[in-house]
Amino acid sequence: MRATVAGATANAPAKPLRWLRWSAWLVLLVVLLALPLYVGSEWLKAGQWMMTGAVGAIGLTMLVGQAGQLSLAHAFFLLAGGTTYTVLASGTEDGRVVGFGVDPLLALLAAVAVTALLGLAFAPVSGRLRGIYLGVASLSLVFIGLYFGQSADRLTGGTSTGRTPAPFALFGFTFDNSGSLVVLGVPLRQAERLWYLYLALTVIAFVLARGAVRSRVGRSWRAVRDHEASAAAMGVNVAWAKAGAFAVSSAYAGLAGVMTVLWFDILKPDENEFGTYGINVSIAYLAMVIIGGLGSIGGALVGALIVFGLPQVLSLYSNQLGIFTGSGAGAVTPILVSTFVYGAAIILVVLFEPGGLAAIGRRITGGLHAQRKKEGTSR
Amino acid sequence: MKRRLSLVLAAMLVVAACGTKAGDQGSSGSDASGVKTDLGVTANEITLGVMSDLTGPFKNLSIGITHGNQLWANDFNAAGGVCGRQVRLEVVDHGYKADQAKTLYPQLEPKVLGFVQVVGSPIMAALKQNIKSDKVTTTPASWSSELLDNPYVMIVGTTYDVEMIDGLSYLHEQGMIKDGDTVAHIYIDGEYGANGLRGSQYYAQKHGLNLREVKITSSDNDLTNIVTGLRGEGVKAILLTTTPAQTGSVAAANKALGLNVPVLGNNPTFDPVLLNSPAANALDRLYVVASSVPVAADIPKAKEVLGKYQAAKFPEPPNAGVPYGYAVAEVWGTVLKKACDNKDLTRDGILRALQQTTSADTGNLVAPLDFSKPGAPPTREVYVAQPDGSSVGGIKYVKPLFEAADAKDYVAPHQK
Repeated sequence: MRATVAGATANAPAKPLRWLRWSAWLVLLVVLLALPLYVGSEWLKAGQWMMTGAVGAIGLTMLVGQAGQLSLAHAFFLLAGGTTYTVLASGTEDGRVVGFGVDPLLALLAAVAVTALLGLAFAPVSGRLRGIYLGVASLSLVFIGLYFGQSADRLTGGTSTGRTPAPFALFGFTFDNSGSLVVLGVPLRQAERLWYLYLALTVIAFVLARGAVRSRVGRSWRAVRDHEASAAAMGVNVAWAKAGAFAVSSAYAGLAGVMTVLWFDILKPDENEFGTYGINVSIAYLAMVIIGGLGSIGGALVGALIVFGLPQVLSLYSNQLGIFTGSGAGAVTPILVSTFVYGAAIILVVLFEPGGLAAIGRRITGGLHAQRKKEGTSR
Repeated sequence: MKRRLSLVLAAMLVVAACGTKAGDQGSSGSDASGVKTDLGVTANEITLGVMSDLTGPFKNLSIGITHGNQLWANDFNAAGGVCGRQVRLEVVDHGYKADQAKTLYPQLEPKVLGFVQVVGSPIMAALKQNIKSDKVTTTPASWSSELLDNPYVMIVGTTYDVEMIDGLSYLHEQGMIKDGDTVAHIYIDGEYGANGLRGSQYYAQKHGLNLREVKITSSDNDLTNIVTGLRGEGVKAILLTTTPAQTGSVAAANKALGLNVPVLGNNPTFDPVLLNSPAANALDRLYVVASSVPVAADIPKAKEVLGKYQAAKFPEPPNAGVPYGYAVAEVWGTVLKKACDNKDLTRDGILRALQQTTSADTGNLVAPLDFSKPGAPPTREVYVAQPDGSSVGGIKYVKPLFEAADAKDYVAPHQK
């Protein structure tokens, strides 16, 4: 940080650029805050889903990109986070399931803490394995989650009916359709309230992640990623750095899991390995991170927009405009189109821009990037 | 910085005050003839929603149901509609993805009076709270009695548990199993399988059957090992609540291993494509229980629907979804007429009309239905059929509609 300040005073042109950047973020935030007053709840719903993806992807990009550990276990931590929140916050409902009726905010924090501990518990494995071996080992967690979801039906509600999570509430204000709250003539109901909640969670997740990546913690992750022996020689505790990265990433996935169950209004474990908490979801998160650019926090946001947002937006638009309305074997549908787009995006990124969309973004704001590179605080 | 911030905020507020989305909510009230309306009904149109799977794993069945719905709408409108209004279907495709359905729902819901079709149990699970809070009567293309804890869910036909009970009594009656036998139930973990299992557990308990429960996932496609194990246990029958591919695998293994016991499946276990699969020759011991008729059933109404389907020149070959889709919509027609007689075409009015429907007649496309008992399946009658390559729909009756005594006594999970 000191270097940045010194650099900025030495090179005058950096200053206006930084202001530009700050005001761009500010304008984006104001637009996002005003959005619920203008767009229909289906668009808000789609936006919330993208933010859920963004929170999970930020966690994964720190693990895979910054700390250099491949993980396919993200879906397991989503399930663990969602289950912890639901069990703690919900009631017992006719004795079929256990529930503690804890304050939802505490339940959310506990879900984050529990998934962080689960991530830490995986440290003996993640500390010893590397690359594709770690990827496969972490994949086993997804299958443990599948088994757990099916057999622990007192906690998860079972694959048959699942269970309803308690709506989120903050100091007595519930994020559902109850009561009437009108702002500028727009009634704020579940979709609008959840939008603000998700926006707040995403901003917190984003700011904390940027802080981590730019601080000493992030430097130790990158040192371990690039060369374990020299990192150790420089005084980094390699085992702790690796375990810490896994715990942080799991905590983010746990938060995304809470957002997932609140978004669906239901916690329902998967019936087979594909589903809300299956392999396909782990891969989708990995795709977001790769498309966005490994290790880039902003890139993870854009990756989430593409992977989680595109199918939603395309199908909403196609219904409105009446495009892609075919059916049957050869039909071109929004789901098919978005699958192709995100498949093609991965191939194009890997072939032509391994740095992902973040690298393209950096090149566009090239002056700034070059400037900051000189200052030595890149990434 | 501060000035910039306050400028931006002020600008946003000015824009916000000019035109938010306020005031675009649905209108409610009564029309000139005193019929109350709210969402999904205009002066000359009633819109019903269809959330279907036109591109995903259940597209064949879903497209059939959607075409059946549309054929009914055409007939209903040609006959003058209801309350001076024509029926229009608004169709969306969720591709069997719950997250897609969850975003499409708020786009579609304010435009429709009710849903004549929502495909899939994962989608129904995800939309459960919405359906309750929006009070929108919905017909799922999913037959689990667990769904009936929601008063707005209208299941057309019987449920998987009742199908199993009726089917087991058929095997019993035919002397294929007897009290105290060992039977196996292979089921997919999830709403579908768990509900079928509930029926076989009930029957096993009543008749002292030794029930072997075999849990699988919907993506296990080779069940030979399981059948080998069951042969070792000396099972007298195999019950299936599975996918058609899994049915084929069990039937083939049943024959190849010389086990050759009767195989009893819920209605989704059979698909006519099995007749063109390697398992085709092993299907002679398969019995399918269902409450809605196959596409080529020898019933005047079914023949009429099939004729209209062929005349409409839909590109897809017809399947059991077509008569079912027609029948479901026919029940909706009955409910709409009742609501019209009550002069109440609101969503509340539709629920009331549904609960007053003690006899919905579909020309025997589905067994007679009674929606007046909350939580209970609207019928407990099924027929039993066997695959038959020579009939048009690939299936023939071996026993017409009946209700077993055990099914009559059975209490569904949410029955009051």
